[in-house]
Amino acid sequence: MTRPNAWRSATTRLIAIYGALFAVWGLVLVGVIQWETTRYLNTVIDQMLVQRMHYLVTTDMQRLPGAVDAAATIDPHGIMSVGLFDAGGQALAGNINKLPADLPPDDQVRLLARGMPRPDRDAGTVRARALATRLADGRVLVIAKDTSTIDGLGAIVWRALLWAISLTIIPGLLGGFLLRRGPEKRIRALQEASEPIRQGDLSKRLPMSGRGDELDVLAGIVNTMLSEIERLMSEVKGVCDNIAHDLRTPLTRLRARLYRAQQQLDGHPEAALVESSITDIDAVLGRFRALLRVSELEDSHRSACFDEVDLGDVLRQVHDFYAPVAEDRGQPFELDIQAMDRARGDAHLLFEALANLVGNAIKFTPNGGTVRLKARMDSRGPRIDILDSGPGIPADERDAVTRRFYRGDNSRTTPGSGLGLSIVSAIVRLHGFALDIGDSAYGARITLYCYSVKPGEVPGTCLSRTMPETREEARAVGEPART
Amino acid sequence: MPTVLVIEDDEVTAREIVAELSVHGMTAEWIPDGRKGLDRATAQPFDLITLDRMLPGMDGIDVVAELRRLQIDTPVLMISALSDVDDRVRGLRAGGDDYLTKPFAPDEMAARAEVLLRRRVPQNDTRLRVADLELDLVRHIAYRAGQPLTLQPTEYRLLECLMRHCGQVLTRMMIFEAVWGFHFDPGTNVIDVHIGRLRRKIDGAGQPPLIRTVRGTGYMIVGSAQNTTASP
Repeated sequence: MTRPNAWRSATTRLIAIYGALFAVWGLVLVGVIQWETTRYLNTVIDQMLVQRMHYLVTTDMQRLPGAVDAAATIDPHGIMSVGLFDAGGQALAGNINKLPADLPPDDQVRLLARGMPRPDRDAGTVRARALATRLADGRVLVIAKDTSTIDGLGAIVWRALLWAISLTIIPGLLGGFLLRRGPEKRIRALQEASEPIRQGDLSKRLPMSGRGDELDVLAGIVNTMLSEIERLMSEVKGVCDNIAHDLRTPLTRLRARLYRAQQQLDGHPEAALVESSITDIDAVLGRFRALLRVSELEDSHRSACFDEVDLGDVLRQVHDFYAPVAEDRGQPFELDIQAMDRARGDAHLLFEALANLVGNAIKFTPNGGTVRLKARMDSRGPRIDILDSGPGIPADERDAVTRRFYRGDNSRTTPGSGLGLSIVSAIVRLHGFALDIGDSAYGARITLYCYSVKPGEVPGTCLSRTMPETREEARAVGEPART
Repeated sequence: MPTVLVIEDDEVTAREIVAELSVHGMTAEWIPDGRKGLDRATAQPFDLITLDRMLPGMDGIDVVAELRRLQIDTPVLMISALSDVDDRVRGLRAGGDDYLTKPFAPDEMAARAEVLLRRRVPQNDTRLRVADLELDLVRHIAYRAGQPLTLQPTEYRLLECLMRHCGQVLTRMMIFEAVWGFHFDPGTNVIDVHIGRLRRKIDGAGQPPLIRTVRGTGYMIVGSAQNTTASP
């Protein structure tokens, strides 16, 4: 069974999308707050700069250098720097040593993109907003204020955002992980419940939690579909079974009358005609019997007769039963049993299944061909291989041959009901075993895994270790090649 | 002449059973009710009882269980439309000696009745004999005209089964059940092949054939002097 991928689960995706949206929204929110705060503080700074400029330009021009120096003196950290330059840009007074190149003297407050050298330090610049004006005598007066307060405030806002996101995302992820476990557990329960349905047991239903959530709605829809499929299958099967059941009585009576006629006609030429009629009726009755047997096995859920079965014994009995038939057809019938664990099952039903398989192998192998029964342990339990040098079952028919009345191209001309493999399949399902139809260099191969095997696991997994796959391998292990 | 009590509620089936048993030399009495059938079976000894499973008055399982509780050991052939293995097991465990499912071939029913009647005969012999064929049950050796025969274990069991029911028709199904011990229709000619091999071993050249094919039914072994409806 495939486990749900944690990173591809709907809950994980929802949490990731929600988390990303939350982060983007947080960024936008904090960005707006910062932008508004910065804009407000810039306005305040700009007003301060404009007011200070207005104060200075309205003082006596002769005393302006002194006033500028005084302003610089009372602000040694250069929070509000001021500088007076002559028309050529030479510093005359204040604590700004160099006229900023990107600050035209147009009475407009600007952010100095390259920053302004800090008057209290040897090196380094500081972001600042500045205002320059050209006085009537050509000198240039510059007032600047660093924006460290605004920048600091911005940093605080960003740190707050990072903390907020961290403190939200981490518990969010943890919560998401815990939230994901619930649906994942239910999905796993649904997967497990669907396994027998996938294998054909339409009586099973998907579990419902009773919460009425989306999974319950989905499970309810599937259950309703299953009920309908089961009803339809049951109707079809019921019609089929009823026909077989109801026709048995008149056919049996007809057979009894023919039998009496045969007894009375003993020695007459007509007796042969009656006998062939009885043979035909027996064939029809045999098919009905087999059909009803399949139904009986499919409907049966009993395991009362299940016990520990020595498969070797069952195989020896099957071999003993069919050996004369194989011999009459000139077919070497080999039995190769290695030490095996016992299997849990019904010995009578297992004999019936194996007898059907061996009977088919003998029937479809040409006279002089070889039939072989092999039994051994593989990595998980006992397995039985029925090998023959016959034509086998084409790959595209292997699923179909266990269906009722299916006759493959190879079997249309041979006598039989087309129900033998259906009976085998029903017995195998009843036991929870698995059947695998394939081929090898030896010829045809049918393997009965006498333990639970999930569909899809069967082909190939342990075959190559025990069964030759090429003619050379077959010769190497002493197996006869296909005839 | 063996007497048979037929407890069967379906008149058509009952008539078939009575007619077929009469053909095979048995006297049959029909009772259509379970309770009355039990009363009849306890009132008078019969050689055999054929018993339907589902009956008015009293269920067939209860009838046979009551008979066994009363220590009446008359062989009981249970006949029922219930063909599931569980039903057969229940019928046999309740005390039935054999179980036949409906619809049945009357000749098979008669053959099974004959086999059950035969079981009443004590089988303490250490040798079985049919004409000049002998089976040493202690040494597991068969002789024809005094000459030992080489039989495989399966062939020996098959021959023993036929000889124990000498003169009685055995269907292929009955042979399969008796010799291999399984209860399903093998649906092939495997039994015929086994009989053919056995026949080749015991019926030598110039010797009268002992195993006979009963057309449309099965096989039987007979002494050469016996008259049968069989054909060789």
